[in-house]
Amino acid sequence: MRYWRKLGLLAPLALAGCSTDNMRLFHPVGLMGGLEYHYTMWITGIMLLIIVPTVLMTIIFPLRYHHSRNAKYTPDWHFSAVIEILAWAIPLGMVVVLAYMSVSAIYRIDPWTTPALADAPGASLPPVKVEVIATDWQWVFVYPDENIATIDDLVVPAGRRVQLTMTATEAMNGFYIPQVAPMVDAMPAMISKDAFEIDQPAEFTGFSTDFSGAGFSWMYFKTRILAQADYDAWVKSVQASQNQLTYDVFTQKIAQPQVNYGAVPSYFSAPNAGSLFGKVVMDAMMGKTYPVPDSLTKSVSSTEGEAPASPAAK
Amino acid sequence: MASFTKAGADTVLWNPGADAHDTISARTYGFWLYLLGDALIIAAVFACYAVLNNPLNANGGPLGKDFLSASKGMLQTFIVLGSVLSYSLATVALKRGSKLGVSLGMIGAILLAVVFLGIGLGDLAALSAAGDGFARSGYLSCFFTLILTHALHMGFGILWMLVMLVQVGVFGFTENVVARLLNLRMFWQFQASVWVVVYIYVYLFGGAH
Amino acid sequence: MQVAVDGPWSPLLGRLTLEAIPYTNPILLFTFAIAATAGIVVVGSVLYFRKVGYIWREWLCSVDHKRIGVMYMILGLVMLFRGFIDGVMMRTQQAIAIGPDSPGYLGAAHGYLPPYHFDQVYSAHGTLMLIFAATPLLTGLGNIIVPLQIGARDMAFPYLNAVSLWLTVAGALLCMISLFVGEFSNATWVGLMPFAELPSNPGVGVDYWMWALQISGLGTTFNAINIITTIVKMRAPGMGWFRVPVFTWVNMATAIIGVTAFPVLTAALAMLGLDRYVGTHFFSAGFGGNYMLYINLFWTWGHPEVYFLVLPAFGLISEIVSTFSAKSLFGYPTMIAASMGIAGVGWVVWAHHFFTMGMGPNLIGFFSAATMIVGIPTGVKAFNWVFTMFRGRITLATPMLWAITCILLLLVGGITGMMLSASVVDYTVHDSVFVVAHFHCMVLVIGGGVFAAVTYWWPKVFGFKLNETLGQWFFWTFVAGSVLVFVPMFMAGLDGETRRLDYLWDTSLRPLMLLEVVGIAVYFLSVFFFLAMIVVSLAKREPAEQDAWGTGRSLEWLTQTPVPFYNFAVTPQVHALDELSWRKANGLEKAQPSTYVPIHMPSSTGLPFIIGMLGFACTFALVWRIWWLAGASLLAIILLVIIRSFDKNEGYVLPAETIAAAERNLSTVSVIAEQSKVLPVGGHAEAH
Repeated sequence: MRYWRKLGLLAPLALAGCSTDNMRLFHPVGLMGGLEYHYTMWITGIMLLIIVPTVLMTIIFPLRYHHSRNAKYTPDWHFSAVIEILAWAIPLGMVVVLAYMSVSAIYRIDPWTTPALADAPGASLPPVKVEVIATDWQWVFVYPDENIATIDDLVVPAGRRVQLTMTATEAMNGFYIPQVAPMVDAMPAMISKDAFEIDQPAEFTGFSTDFSGAGFSWMYFKTRILAQADYDAWVKSVQASQNQLTYDVFTQKIAQPQVNYGAVPSYFSAPNAGSLFGKVVMDAMMGKTYPVPDSLTKSVSSTEGEAPASPAAK
Repeated sequence: MASFTKAGADTVLWNPGADAHDTISARTYGFWLYLLGDALIIAAVFACYAVLNNPLNANGGPLGKDFLSASKGMLQTFIVLGSVLSYSLATVALKRGSKLGVSLGMIGAILLAVVFLGIGLGDLAALSAAGDGFARSGYLSCFFTLILTHALHMGFGILWMLVMLVQVGVFGFTENVVARLLNLRMFWQFQASVWVVVYIYVYLFGGAH
Repeated sequence: MQVAVDGPWSPLLGRLTLEAIPYTNPILLFTFAIAATAGIVVVGSVLYFRKVGYIWREWLCSVDHKRIGVMYMILGLVMLFRGFIDGVMMRTQQAIAIGPDSPGYLGAAHGYLPPYHFDQVYSAHGTLMLIFAATPLLTGLGNIIVPLQIGARDMAFPYLNAVSLWLTVAGALLCMISLFVGEFSNATWVGLMPFAELPSNPGVGVDYWMWALQISGLGTTFNAINIITTIVKMRAPGMGWFRVPVFTWVNMATAIIGVTAFPVLTAALAMLGLDRYVGTHFFSAGFGGNYMLYINLFWTWGHPEVYFLVLPAFGLISEIVSTFSAKSLFGYPTMIAASMGIAGVGWVVWAHHFFTMGMGPNLIGFFSAATMIVGIPTGVKAFNWVFTMFRGRITLATPMLWAITCILLLLVGGITGMMLSASVVDYTVHDSVFVVAHFHCMVLVIGGGVFAAVTYWWPKVFGFKLNETLGQWFFWTFVAGSVLVFVPMFMAGLDGETRRLDYLWDTSLRPLMLLEVVGIAVYFLSVFFFLAMIVVSLAKREPAEQDAWGTGRSLEWLTQTPVPFYNFAVTPQVHALDELSWRKANGLEKAQPSTYVPIHMPSSTGLPFIIGMLGFACTFALVWRIWWLAGASLLAIILLVIIRSFDKNEGYVLPAETIAAAERNLSTVSVIAEQSKVLPVGGHAEAH
């Protein structure tokens, strides 16, 4: 049939089943990702009930009533109360169902409070707190309770809730780890929250979704879920790091606009980690900005080789 | 919905006189639509004002309640309404076809508007001089913008009236001139309504003393 | 008052220096060579064929709604092509720059576009496609068709109509000149805040974008006012509200959006301008500003703007499906209700553009449900189109193929749109290319609708049909290109690929990106077939019938083909929704008026063109902070408006004999023929 293009609609869904490498969103991990996947499938499925017949009618009618076929022809038939009532009632009914699903879903998955995670195995354990600061153009993860910090490497233990609190220094960014956590914006002078829990060691890649400037494409970060013992060992090793992240280091080096080509991670001990996040938020509210120099806009072209190295390499 | 009533012998198919439409009514309707759009610009500024009118957005600077005087605003309101009244008297004179009446009404409206602008702009200048200019905070940015948006409308109204004073003199009450005078009346009442809303929302609800 | 900006500033030239000319960039040099060649060819042929006077008098000074519409559409097509080239650059860049080992050319580390250039390319792509391609194309169609469908002589305000056109052109010129002088915005077509503020964006790019939107938005608002007044005040006798053709109805809905939504954009951009020029703090992160305010204001305009664009396309589909099914439109009253419903609901859904910005569940729930409500009237429309085809007598001519494709695209765009309206889905694909693919489905509905409409109404305006064979080739290559580009894009979106990446770290996306490039190549074929279609049809010029498709239903098919500049020799009396169908049913379609009366026509004038160009000068000066030029051109505009108000020219009268002669000898009367040919010497107020 010539009208093969309509299959385009179904292709992504069909292919989803047969590939594991692609279509990350069809392979959720953990409760939050699982919920999102669950609702996506239901909402799409319900709509297909109405979309598929309409697509079929749209394709079949022009062929069935093509002038060459001399099918029944009613040139003046232009109204039918039954069909009109159905034409309004069917979409209305569907919208009621979908809206109910959407609203109930948001009350379960709301990233600020994440009620859904109350059912997770790790709900009884204290959450791991991570403060996320999106700079131009790196992700700084501050662990206030452990007094450490990393750049572009989010390391958390399996089986415990990870409570993320986010802000940004200069531009708005979107924080997103596909399969794992809902997308939430990290915004200057404001605080947003997100949370997830993964019960098995695993690795993912997270990234920024909201455009923030020249280094945006390089704003991705490793997300490593370690077993609790491995995590504890990792924390110890970072705590022993010679690299220290203080407020001064942060504002004078790390928050200055720079492209971290290859998203090379860095690790810091941070004795005053608890106060950094609040200061960064307050600074932005008071009007502190980190102006982007010309060398990182107009002439950012080919600087990868001689990129300003990440201020404190591992 | 093709209602297939049959055409009869007396069915009229063409209307030779139909396109002599009412120019003034189309122009006033079109201008009314423009005012609708303009009102939405103002509404957007008001929305911003509503959002920014809180201590967080004052950035340590003053809010309206700290420097606005309700009684002075009341005086300004009466001046604006007086100006509208004066223009309305001009349109009454227009009905009688009196060039002198129309001109006097407009001159009165202009003079009152100038007094109003003098008071308003003077206040803004004083505020700036005290270090609380528009760059002080998000709140003050919006406050200045709101007041100056209204002032800009008044300024254009004054310019328009000056042009119309000449046209009434030169052309008399031609169709064009009458259409413009009627549109100007709408415009002048529109800016007055904007000011009244500013007064109620910014001064009175804003807690001016 | 002036905010300090980076770099040198001089009173005479503002920020403009020789360094603003990107003569070191090979891509822009190449573009400039092409643009210059095209310019030389156009200007040269105008000079060679001695058509300067003709172009000036008959086009640039024209206040005829059809010519203004045609110029709108030419502008839209040129910008569509430029936007397409931007799209080509984005697709090819993303196909090359995948993974750390990918090659780099022309000074870029990966691919051939450095980030800053790439960011401008996609910002320009969005801005141009929506504001300077889709909007002028649809405005142009409305301009041409609405007065014809309601039996009017012209728009209510022909002069204002020309001003609207030239203001839009000024905005487009601003976008074009940013290629060769300075830079365009890198802050996306929506203007990300606080990213578009001075600290992150000290260059002139954001200013170009802002003023281009601002000045063309002014034009669009004026045009919307004009359309509403025309429809309300100038319908032919007998045309009650339930006899108004559906395309005119959707233009009404669209214009209501235009006049109410665009001012909000004007206000938002004005505040951004104050931030960037005088140092206020509306949208900064600090100093008590609130950048979320901008995002809210922008989408308060932006979402209605989406329906502003898609509603006319719905109207086009309705007209075409009905005509080519040789059948009344099914459910006309609910169609109108659905259009108005979409326009209304469009006002309360804006926050769905930023579900990820940390709104609470109450707000998200409201906006999610409100957005879904849009699905109801849209679904009604789809059903009504389907049942219009039901028991029809369908001809699958090119316009009908486009219209059917539009319905299918709408269904794909609809299901993905409903998915996105559920915030729980949005949390996974927001700002991904899934969203991009979704809204490209919707803008392809607009594009397909426009191509359908161009093919459909072309004979009415120009007097001959477009080549059907090449039209079908164009259609099939375009559809194949769309499938090859956007199906992989949906898949990449489900893989989590973010929008606006100049470099892809995720190498698994390579096959999809290559597939999209294949699609782009097919698109190139379709551009070729489109041009071939125009050229071949122009060469053949087989005269079309008055009712070119044989199944025309509404008033525009009642007048001569091509439409004379006065539209209808005598205003028709309207008896039914589908007046021509009614006349056909009564055997009256050949009836001609027995007498003619003189027609009052507006004189053409060069002032709108001059105002538009002054607007361009003013905004260009503001971009570069050349204060004297900005002030002078603004003052000149105000003075010109005042001077014109002293002009007593009331137009001219076309005598009845001239009309009778013109109606007898149709070949001389055409929208593309010179008016003066049918006018008695001296009977026509000269252009001034």
